[in-house]
Amino acid sequence: MSVIELTDVVKRYQNGEEVIAALDHVDFQADRGEMVTIIGPSGSGKSTMLNMIGLLDTPTAGTVHLDGRNVTDFSEDELTEERRSGIGFVFQDFHLLPMLTATENVELPSMWDTSVDRHDRAEDLLQRVGLGDRLDHTPDQLSGGQRQRVAIARALINEPDILLADEPTGNLDQDTGATILDELTRLKEEEDIAIVAVTHDEQLVEYADREVNLVDGEIGE
Amino acid sequence: MSIRDLLWQLPSVGMAWRNLGRSRVRTALATLGIIIGVVAIASLGMAGVAIQQQATSNLGGIADEVTIRSGTDSTTDGVTQEQVDRIRDVAGDATVIPEKTNSTTLTARDGSERFVSVTGLTRASTLYEVSSGDNPDRLRSGALLTNSTARQLGLEIGDPVEYDGQLYRIRGLIESGGGGFGGGSELVLPLSALRDQNYYDSVTIVASDGDEAQRISDAVETRFNEGDEEILSVTSFASIQENVGSFLDTLNLALLGIGSISLIVASVAILNVMLMSTIERRGEIGVLRAVGIRRGEVLRMILAEAAFLGIIGGFVGAALSLGVGLVAFEVLAGDATLVFGWASVRYLLLGFGFAVVASLLSGLYPAWKAANDPPVEALRS
Repeated sequence: MSVIELTDVVKRYQNGEEVIAALDHVDFQADRGEMVTIIGPSGSGKSTMLNMIGLLDTPTAGTVHLDGRNVTDFSEDELTEERRSGIGFVFQDFHLLPMLTATENVELPSMWDTSVDRHDRAEDLLQRVGLGDRLDHTPDQLSGGQRQRVAIARALINEPDILLADEPTGNLDQDTGATILDELTRLKEEEDIAIVAVTHDEQLVEYADREVNLVDGEIGE
Repeated sequence: MSIRDLLWQLPSVGMAWRNLGRSRVRTALATLGIIIGVVAIASLGMAGVAIQQQATSNLGGIADEVTIRSGTDSTTDGVTQEQVDRIRDVAGDATVIPEKTNSTTLTARDGSERFVSVTGLTRASTLYEVSSGDNPDRLRSGALLTNSTARQLGLEIGDPVEYDGQLYRIRGLIESGGGGFGGGSELVLPLSALRDQNYYDSVTIVASDGDEAQRISDAVETRFNEGDEEILSVTSFASIQENVGSFLDTLNLALLGIGSISLIVASVAILNVMLMSTIERRGEIGVLRAVGIRRGEVLRMILAEAAFLGIIGGFVGAALSLGVGLVAFEVLAGDATLVFGWASVRYLLLGFGFAVVASLLSGLYPAWKAANDPPVEALRS
């Protein structure tokens, strides 16, 4: 069973008089243990699609299934709970909080859960992405590649089913990008998660098990 | 467990504390606004209390006294002994001092003359304070004379004065106008000196406090005067004290009003600071929401930031106000330690409470706005 499934999803935006279809009858699914890249020119609806998969946005028409459950009509608070328990995000510009250390940044998504202490898992994840000696460094003391690895560790703290990455190598040089992608591939297998990445980066496509081409809001071949 | 660990037990509070530390200057300025507001409210309030206490101590004994004279509907030309006895019943524990008054002319050794009012009473020590000499509890013989009159006539303690053909030895000198309404020149004699007068001209009752004086005054009024009839005329100064008190209350309220305005200005400043900082952190808050931080948790975090500003500002402001209060009480009431009385300490609590409440109210809108910003929109910014 697919961990995430979009069926006939349409997303329209009102832009003044004009109605723009960012996604036009899109079908998509991803399984555990696979890395799927979504590629396409800018404005093709890649980010909108990623927002749908990440339960940050709701479709105008069509359905979204998470782990077999229909979450299409969930309220914002219910979607927040789903994101909290089952989804990890990696952003292009890392989006780490500057006043927190690496470990605290990784703990952030679970910080408000006083019932579980994820401190050890946070340190373990940072060890696994090779930042065992940077646990108490703040983001401004880390390089771009190190920051992205902190962000990846943060995305995994809640033991998610899906990891979503928006241009994860976009702000990194070629070599650093390759390291990050090796990291992601390894974690995909270790944690048995689905990774969905939006990218322009040819290098990233090489690492993917599968690619989806998006043109003008429609899936091409 | 360190303070830091403790802080993180409440993640909203821990995050808020870190967030405030990010822009120290802005935090300091916002706090300064609150401090000024608290100092304005608390120190103006405490100054009001100091003025009130000083005024009350100046009014002093006058407010505790009730003076009774013969009224317009009385059949006698003065207060009768029988009426005095009944007044004593009403007055209870309060001291009742019947007085007879007259006037006479005193002659000095060099022949110069001085017109003085004469008061005959027994309990001289209750109404008069002597600046030198002796002041017996019960004046049975001898006399008290106003200080200035004695000087003008060249009289000293031990010298005789003559009234109604009898000589009285001066036992003590009293301050001019001290006690009662003697004013000017006054000669105080034993009641027996005025035995030719059948009636008392006035009865002074000295109560333990203003409220008691008011009670006695009301009781005498109802006991002796029916309807509009005025057998005895009762004058109480408790009502004057009440009037002065209510004026001071109004003054205090006005001072507090001025103080509140500065706190309102401060809370607008906090509203501005919180709004700016949440707009600046819009993307960051979007990330929090995206990774599954609930709306209520974001709301609490930002409210906690506002509360911190209020608590720190309120605490520092209250500490500074205490300093201002110490000075105010030293200057106005002459005793700096009076500042620790409840009447003034409550203004410190009021200022502190106001600061926290005003900050929380100012944080409410920015917090609500940040918490309800759709994460997709926030992340795009």
